[in-house]
Amino acid sequence: MGRVLFPQNVADAMKGGWLFLLCVLMLLPLVTSTAAMGAETAEQAQAIPVPNPSADLWRDVRQRDGIMTGKTQVAGVDSGALINPYGETWRNFRMRQLIPYSGYLLAGVLLLLALFYFIRGKIRVNAGMSEKKLFRYSLYERMIHWFIASVFLFLALTGLILLFGRSLLIPWMGQELFSLLASASKEGHNLFGPVFAVALLLIFIRFVRRNIYQKGDLTWLLKGGGIIGKGHVPSNFFNMGEKSMFWLLILVGIVIVGSGLLLVFPVFGQARLTMELAHVSHAVTTLLMIVVIMGHIYIGSVGMEGALDGMTTGYCDLNWAREHHAQWAERCEQAGQVVSEAEVSRLRGETAGGHIPPAGAQESGQ
Amino acid sequence: MEHDFAKGVEELGRQIDSRIASYFSSCVHCGLCAEACLFYTETGDPRYTPIYKLEPMRRLWKEQHTFWGKFAVKLGLSKPLTEQDFADWEELVYDSCTMCGRCSMVCPVGNDIAYMIRKEREGFSSAGYSPVSMQDATHRALTIGSPMGVTLKTLRAALAHVEKDTGLKIPMDQQGADYMTLFSSMEIVNFPEYIESVARIFDAAGVSWTISSEAFEATNSGIQIGSHEAARKIASRVVNVAESLGVKYVISPECGHAYTALRWEGPNLIGRAYKFEIIHILELLDQLQKDGRLQLSGHIDTPLTFHDPCQVVRRGGVIGPPRDLLSKLATGFVEMADHGTMNWCCGGGGGVSANDRAEELRLKVFDRKRKQLEALGVKTMVTACANCRIILEEGIEDREMDVEVIGLTELVAEYLAGDSVASPERSLD
Amino acid sequence: MIGQLIDGPLWYFSLGVFCLGVLFRFFTILRAGLKPDLAIPRAGGAPGALRNLFTRFIPRRDVATRGRLTLIAGYLFHLGLFALLFFARPHVDFYAERITGFGWPALPYWAFIISAEIAFIGLLLLWLHRLLHPVTRLLSTADDHIGTGLVFLVMLTGCLALAQSFEPLRLLHLFLAELLLIYFPFSSLMHTFNFVFSRGYSGAIMGRKGVNA
Repeated sequence: MGRVLFPQNVADAMKGGWLFLLCVLMLLPLVTSTAAMGAETAEQAQAIPVPNPSADLWRDVRQRDGIMTGKTQVAGVDSGALINPYGETWRNFRMRQLIPYSGYLLAGVLLLLALFYFIRGKIRVNAGMSEKKLFRYSLYERMIHWFIASVFLFLALTGLILLFGRSLLIPWMGQELFSLLASASKEGHNLFGPVFAVALLLIFIRFVRRNIYQKGDLTWLLKGGGIIGKGHVPSNFFNMGEKSMFWLLILVGIVIVGSGLLLVFPVFGQARLTMELAHVSHAVTTLLMIVVIMGHIYIGSVGMEGALDGMTTGYCDLNWAREHHAQWAERCEQAGQVVSEAEVSRLRGETAGGHIPPAGAQESGQ
Repeated sequence: MEHDFAKGVEELGRQIDSRIASYFSSCVHCGLCAEACLFYTETGDPRYTPIYKLEPMRRLWKEQHTFWGKFAVKLGLSKPLTEQDFADWEELVYDSCTMCGRCSMVCPVGNDIAYMIRKEREGFSSAGYSPVSMQDATHRALTIGSPMGVTLKTLRAALAHVEKDTGLKIPMDQQGADYMTLFSSMEIVNFPEYIESVARIFDAAGVSWTISSEAFEATNSGIQIGSHEAARKIASRVVNVAESLGVKYVISPECGHAYTALRWEGPNLIGRAYKFEIIHILELLDQLQKDGRLQLSGHIDTPLTFHDPCQVVRRGGVIGPPRDLLSKLATGFVEMADHGTMNWCCGGGGGVSANDRAEELRLKVFDRKRKQLEALGVKTMVTACANCRIILEEGIEDREMDVEVIGLTELVAEYLAGDSVASPERSLD
Repeated sequence: MIGQLIDGPLWYFSLGVFCLGVLFRFFTILRAGLKPDLAIPRAGGAPGALRNLFTRFIPRRDVATRGRLTLIAGYLFHLGLFALLFFARPHVDFYAERITGFGWPALPYWAFIISAEIAFIGLLLLWLHRLLHPVTRLLSTADDHIGTGLVFLVMLTGCLALAQSFEPLRLLHLFLAELLLIYFPFSSLMHTFNFVFSRGYSGAIMGRKGVNA
């Protein structure tokens, strides 16, 4: 039998499943843990050992000690297990730990970055911006960078809507509007997930060579890249911070993509446990990446003078390069690759209208 | 020439036909035309993008032919065309375009951008916004008969040399000859070997031919500067004389745009079909060889390649003849990677060679041809356009390359069978 | 109420503007006129026109190398869009119900999704190329960006409504599609139809000269 992704009945089942889960989630506030705990303690206080004939049965069924699979005529991955106890564990993890702690994490990192900006300030180019530029990123490299950036931001946004929706958004926009938003986010997130995988592959192929460990990288790392204090540490095209981020993005990204694919295509015989694990690893790794990217965006925009130019125009300032990527800048200078600002402007077609700057050219009619 | 902006805009508007309208409507600004244009590839300057050179015409089209365009100008949302636009774009339209037509071959929506430039030049030249050196050349062509100022006297002197060297008589003003041939000024002045080759070949092949003392110039400055009035006058001279002499064919010589002017634009300029046919010299030679009237013997072994003159091959349609002839003559013939209808322009066509202001740019973009040659590693290049020849030779000298340029007709004359007349001096090995 | 507007009058209005607008654009092209060519042709113009219509889909050697980003992203986008626009089940059902009265075989859901992903990759890469490459930056007008943006939004809202369970999402998608239909005839998106004219005219001129354009 051929495995078809999302045949209509599975899609319906999924829709039903989501709807069901949504209902469950909406009903959760009514069945708070305190109420449940209260019921349990009340039960434990009443320590008269009245044997409940079905207690043994239900204890086995409840499978608190682990999943027991029995035989069944229904052919399916989990159909031998009546109840999956890890579902409760997973649900509690998501509601009580993942959501609040990731919220604190994201807010905290945002605060830290803001503090860093106000205390350390924008990292300036000590020698000042010059009129000389170095060619840093080709058109293709800039294209795939902004491609992965926009896809990542979209996935992060939709993912966070799905994560924090119930706690942050429903109180604000109500349930009907949120259900709409959540559905939209889910569909968008699921469609763009594989797009991110493609983007990741393109980024890897293009940049992997420049991210191999080189001599001096460890020194850079130990000195913190000179981010505290005024000193600069020499580095190659990419410094150890950038290389670390690259490898993190690739390795963690593989987990993100892998877990994401497992989650979005539940047609390969994944058991509930697999799905739960996939979800947890997806959540943890993506949050890690979001935090790292927040730092990346910070340093690439407001955090450092001259950092953004390379990825927008393709050219970076020579002084910036000398200070932040000294060994690379030196090689470029030795190879005579320094370009003037006027030349960069010309290549970008920034001379006004159709008039070509005269190189001994005469005016028309003379 | 005085500037007359209103006249220019009016003429430019008249040039917008269905083709131009469809071209502007289809253009999605993809930028692929730039990748085919040697002025962009060799400078990296995006303003040399072919369709960008057409901005003034595009804005006029938008204003006159589109719904929103008309509205936008009325509401003041977009600016109408101004004289400054003509002034700003003159260099793009004339200095950085040879109308070579490579862009027309690659546009994904099929825009014939070289055709558009030809039309845009009509507007610019009417307005007086064209290079002075080209205006002077056109003036000379109209008054003297040649853009380089070659007079009948000059021609007669050149002919006398040829007659002396070959011992042949060059027929002048022969009524009823089969073929009337033309020469370009460039050939008369710089490459008179062409005239000699033609004389010897026609003698060997028994061709009944003549030239005319009243109309011997093949080039048409009107086509280059973009003045249909001038182009018509210049073409008419040839047509009237050819028809009064009663010839069957007029031969277009080794000159690029002369062929385009006479073969493809001429009847439309004068408003009627000719009473004779236009044939390119290469077409004639190829035909004569295939008919057996032109016997060749021997061949050249030097590795050589062929530079396709844009107006003859890509824009003219004379694709097979040069190759068929070379295959009979040259054992070491190798094609450039981009060859035939996709070969790269020499950089001097479309009036650029007559434009002093464009010299620096023209020499810069010669790098494209240089790279083509270096990739092949040949030291001999054959071509069939006198203008290309001089431009290529200038570029070769400027880049200090060691490449020789030969004309194809001369090469054919080199290897005429049973030839008792001494060949022109040349060492080919 | 808004929903009824979007499903009803606005749909008919946008469809009308689209059809009439496209025809009007054809008319303005033909109205500009064409002088007959008096030169003796080497070969027929009509075969040249037809030939060029198809051969332009294949790029020339050197432009295929130099312009490979545009080429690849362009084909990814156009092929993906074509597949999802005409062969996605929700679209086939829509056309059958509202335009043609009959349907045709649709892609399986996974193929629809993959076409959409390919189309998105192509469109995003093309748009980034337009913003970053000096040539396209210089050439691009507001029209180019609005056109790209509108198409992107239509595709995105379509993706967001994939669950097919929320009327507002479907209506948003339909509304943006209607805006696109209204915008279409007045923009460079008309290349969708006009390329037949432009490839045809060039193919004819060059065909008459004996050149395979």
